[in-house]
Amino acid sequence: MLSYIWSLVNWYLRPFIKWLLRHTTHMCELQRICYGEPSGAPRTYSVEVSLRLSRNPEIRSLLAYLDDIADQQAITMRSERAILEESIKTVLITKHINPTAHPDFAKSFGKCVELIWGYRQLCVHCEELRQTPYDSDNAKHEGLLLKLWDLLMPGEELDGRITKQWQDIGFQGDDPKTDFRGMGILGLENLVYFAQEYPSAATHVLSHSMHPKYGYAFAIVGINLTSMALRLLKDGSAKTHIYNASKTLPTIRAFHQFYCYLFYEFDGFWIESKPSNMMEFSSIQEKFEQNIKAALADSSTVFRINLSVDNI
Amino acid sequence: MGLLTILKKLKQKEKEMRILMLGLDNAGKTTIVKRLMGEPIDTISPTLGFNIKTMDHKGYKLNVWDVGGQKSLRTYWKNYFESTDGLIWVVDSADRRRLEDCKEEMHKLLQEERLEGATLLIFANKQDLPGAVTAEDIAQILDLESIKTHHWKIYKASAITAENLLEGINWIVEDISKRVFYND
Repeated sequence: MLSYIWSLVNWYLRPFIKWLLRHTTHMCELQRICYGEPSGAPRTYSVEVSLRLSRNPEIRSLLAYLDDIADQQAITMRSERAILEESIKTVLITKHINPTAHPDFAKSFGKCVELIWGYRQLCVHCEELRQTPYDSDNAKHEGLLLKLWDLLMPGEELDGRITKQWQDIGFQGDDPKTDFRGMGILGLENLVYFAQEYPSAATHVLSHSMHPKYGYAFAIVGINLTSMALRLLKDGSAKTHIYNASKTLPTIRAFHQFYCYLFYEFDGFWIESKPSNMMEFSSIQEKFEQNIKAALADSSTVFRINLSVDNI
Repeated sequence: MGLLTILKKLKQKEKEMRILMLGLDNAGKTTIVKRLMGEPIDTISPTLGFNIKTMDHKGYKLNVWDVGGQKSLRTYWKNYFESTDGLIWVVDSADRRRLEDCKEEMHKLLQEERLEGATLLIFANKQDLPGAVTAEDIAQILDLESIKTHHWKIYKASAITAENLLEGINWIVEDISKRVFYND
């Protein structure tokens, strides 16, 4: 009830406050945000809220257009420039902003648009990869799986494609195929990226997973963490990190790096928790997820993988 | 607290059932539970550890324990045996290669003292897949006829199409209630 009254008051009061501020500061809300909020997540998030609340038909049709191209994954390095210019132009005209008097606004606002719709596009892309099931008849999938083995177990040959050796890196049985069930090819790509881009961190984590007392199933934990990373991406929690970490258009790389951070940190958290056995996974994973969510609630958060192991 | 509330509480307590879901990895245990709960089933990862779900079913409160089936986790299954009223054994009907394994693990369970008397429901899951073994053949391969220590029943089922899931649950709940709540 209270929240209903609040939204009602907000609905009628917001335009008035905006009008008042506009006439006292001689700037529109988007300008005030771009000048007042620190760059990265705080600014981008406020711009996003402001745009979504806008009742201006020009702005609304701009948002519909941007949503549409993001859903079609049509924002690329090549097309991006034209899209951003178009967006900036629309806002400058609708909000009567003189670009020569406010040269920084266009730049700052364009950056926000890039991040907001890059994130939306990233969600669509990750979901598409998740829905692509692992297919043993697809040479690319098979190649990726074998590559994962070579990266994690250099110098050790697989006896065959179907072998108990897969359990050494933490798959459930002798054919990893079924373990990718809910996460599809996204789960495999995450694992390969971790092993390839952070070899020393991945080896470090893998050796922990073989610990006689606190060991766990590396690959299966990895797939469960893909699920967690995707959950945080889709519910918007990961915006803080992605907005703060991305210098350019966020792509799948940003998701992989977010995942690598989670895996590396989870490993440390697991060992620190001193679990009595694998059955404690659900409760420890839940605690870990709460910690990550709490960190992401702070708009200045940006995760960087702590590679102290590299120096050892 | 009045007498009536105490009686009510006792009654509520009586109406709880503890159901344990086991089976080899990739049998579809979590998918069945999620399907029964009306949750999305397309984002499930291999279960590490266990999940507990509570369902209300025909006036009974079912506490369903869904425990991971991976080989390295099977040694921990015994931690969940205590006061189990019903055991649901889930079989991947399309995984012919491991049906022998499946039989062995199931019969090992049935010898457990702490599972004595528990009602046994077998879901011959994944009947929607081409090449799935029929429930009749699975009954034979698992040698169900030889089970004399437990009430048992097998249902062909599919977590994807929801075929026979409710029917199976109806049967196990009814069998447990006859045994536990009326036969005293």
